[in-house]
Amino acid sequence: MAFLRDLRVLYLRELRSALRERSIVVNGILIPIFLYPFLLWAMFTAMTFVEGQAEGFVSRVVVPDAGPLPALVTALESRSDVRLDDADVAPDSLDARLARGDLDAVVRFESDAGGLLADNPTVRIAYDRAESRSRRAAERIEAVVDSLRARRLMAEATGLGLDTVGLRVFALDTENVATNREAGRLILALMVPLFLTLMVALGCFIPAVDTTAGERERSTWETLWTTGVSRGSVVLAKYLLVATMGVVAGMLNVLAISVALGCIIAPLAGDRAADLALGLPLQAVPVMLAVSVLLALLFAALMMVLAAFARTFKEGQAMVTPAYYLALAPLLLSGSPDRGLTPALSLVPVANVTLGLKDAILGRGDTGLLLTAFAVNAALVVVCLALARSLVVREEVVTGAFEGSFWSWLRSRRRTSPSTPNP
Amino acid sequence: MPPALAAHPMTPSPMDPSRASAPAAPLESDAPLTVEVRGLTKSFLEEGRGEVRAVDGIDFTCRAGEVFGLLGANGAGKTTTLRMLSTVLRPTAGTARVLGHDAETDGEAVRRSLGFHSASTALYPRLTAGETLDFFARVNRLDPSKVKPRVDALIERFGIGEYADARVEKLSSGMKQKVAIARTLAHDPPVLIFDEPTVGLDVLNAIALLEVVEELRAEGRTVIYSSHIMSEAERLCDRIAVLHRGRILAMGTLDELRDATGLHYLQDIFVHYVKAAEA
Repeated sequence: MAFLRDLRVLYLRELRSALRERSIVVNGILIPIFLYPFLLWAMFTAMTFVEGQAEGFVSRVVVPDAGPLPALVTALESRSDVRLDDADVAPDSLDARLARGDLDAVVRFESDAGGLLADNPTVRIAYDRAESRSRRAAERIEAVVDSLRARRLMAEATGLGLDTVGLRVFALDTENVATNREAGRLILALMVPLFLTLMVALGCFIPAVDTTAGERERSTWETLWTTGVSRGSVVLAKYLLVATMGVVAGMLNVLAISVALGCIIAPLAGDRAADLALGLPLQAVPVMLAVSVLLALLFAALMMVLAAFARTFKEGQAMVTPAYYLALAPLLLSGSPDRGLTPALSLVPVANVTLGLKDAILGRGDTGLLLTAFAVNAALVVVCLALARSLVVREEVVTGAFEGSFWSWLRSRRRTSPSTPNP
Repeated sequence: MPPALAAHPMTPSPMDPSRASAPAAPLESDAPLTVEVRGLTKSFLEEGRGEVRAVDGIDFTCRAGEVFGLLGANGAGKTTTLRMLSTVLRPTAGTARVLGHDAETDGEAVRRSLGFHSASTALYPRLTAGETLDFFARVNRLDPSKVKPRVDALIERFGIGEYADARVEKLSSGMKQKVAIARTLAHDPPVLIFDEPTVGLDVLNAIALLEVVEELRAEGRTVIYSSHIMSEAERLCDRIAVLHRGRILAMGTLDELRDATGLHYLQDIFVHYVKAAEA
């Protein structure tokens, strides 16, 4: 009972201090709520804007020699979104203008010597794929060529006495068997595990540094160390605080993304989002909670171990940053839409639980594999926590004798040190 | 009662085992013994220097209602001694007991009996003064029903009511000093450790702190007061231990030290012992 009461007092003190620290509130609460919804909105708006801009461009096209297919030139001239520029220059010069962006496309013809049909050249379009307006020009020319090709085929068929109405060959009709809900879940399955992991790690980051290196920098480590509670309860309270901030950041972010998708993106997307149903399936919610808690426990332990060596907050940030990126690296494995949790991947920390969450959102997956993934991460948490405790309670950590160096700590482990853990 | 002055050998070998069992100075008072230090030793491994003995087999005892001074230059071992006493550091050898609790085996009980105040025990900047006192009372397991009356009493005693709801980071140095002393007393500890408490304080705040220490003695608490400022030790300490290179060179009341050296001022007495040890 006394231990739990101590833990509560210590935890509430840590929480109160954390919620009064601007950087923790910004990273753990404000960014998760506003950053990604804002980014999503900004990206979508920018894409729409660029798309609109590209639609409004008048494509500058040059056809140096219209001889083989004059109908193409006529058709291009009839379009209001295409302007045919002067071709009265050397071919090399046209390529240079295209590269500079003075032109959007150049159309040339190559004769088809072996073909069955007369006047049937190959149309070669030169454009700059790196430029959106150049890509748009190529698409417009291709559309004109397709139209001419269809007309020519109709004319040839009519010449051969064929009924053009019955000339449809390989008619194509597609049917999307995915329900609106499934399509929406695919989007969520790609976004939620990624953002949840990112935000949990970000939520843990500053508190992990603040409760260790920050505490030493403020000279409050020793104050706490001289209080009448066990070292274990001090470390556990800090650890729980860091993990709490991670879970809060992750959950707030998922909530914010859900709201953003429904309230911001869907209206912006209009018809394109009309057939999507963006809602998390109920059975994925407990999995998401479990995943966020596990990730928070893992990141908190890992980051606290590293930050414990630092003497200042800045040093702590420098030490934890590589671990932050390292912890997120397994996310690369879960990026593909088709990849699910496999027996091999269930052994890869972080990636395994994010894949498990993805499967849960998609309504598929294997409970056994998911439990294996949880067990792997839980085991890693225990290892990190044992390491964190053995490290943080050492008197060198309190006195800063490691001088902010991981290697100093390793050296102190190798030699027989008279300084021992102080329970 | 025999004379309280314990003259320690000046040049013993650092490895001399007899040093660890040297008897502590007897006390004149019949007040209960609160602190007992025997053969306390602390070694550190330092790169390039090997094993360094920061504290080398010291012995002393303290009684209730006594201000015991640890007088020494920077690096003499004062802070290391007090850190061992408050269980921040574990002794390499020897024992330290507070109210009968062993610092090594019963650390939590020792810490609950102590209030530790030093330049390296800062306050939480994001808590208010009132929250600080409440936290330290609770975390040191003061009976929950007594926490609020105790906090109110400390706020009244140190005159911090005006800024009890202000965050510590917003307070002036003098205000912080008052809060820091109040938080040391939050759980009503019978033993207090002040490690160079006036470092960085202006004259008025330093004098105010010395007055608080005198009040604490009058309340019957034990105060272990470490300093390198002779005038403070002269004014406050009932007994003084001269600490140099981790060893106690001399220990006794000021009058006993004067009698032993034939010198009047504590500064001269201190220099006398240090020079003799270095010779």
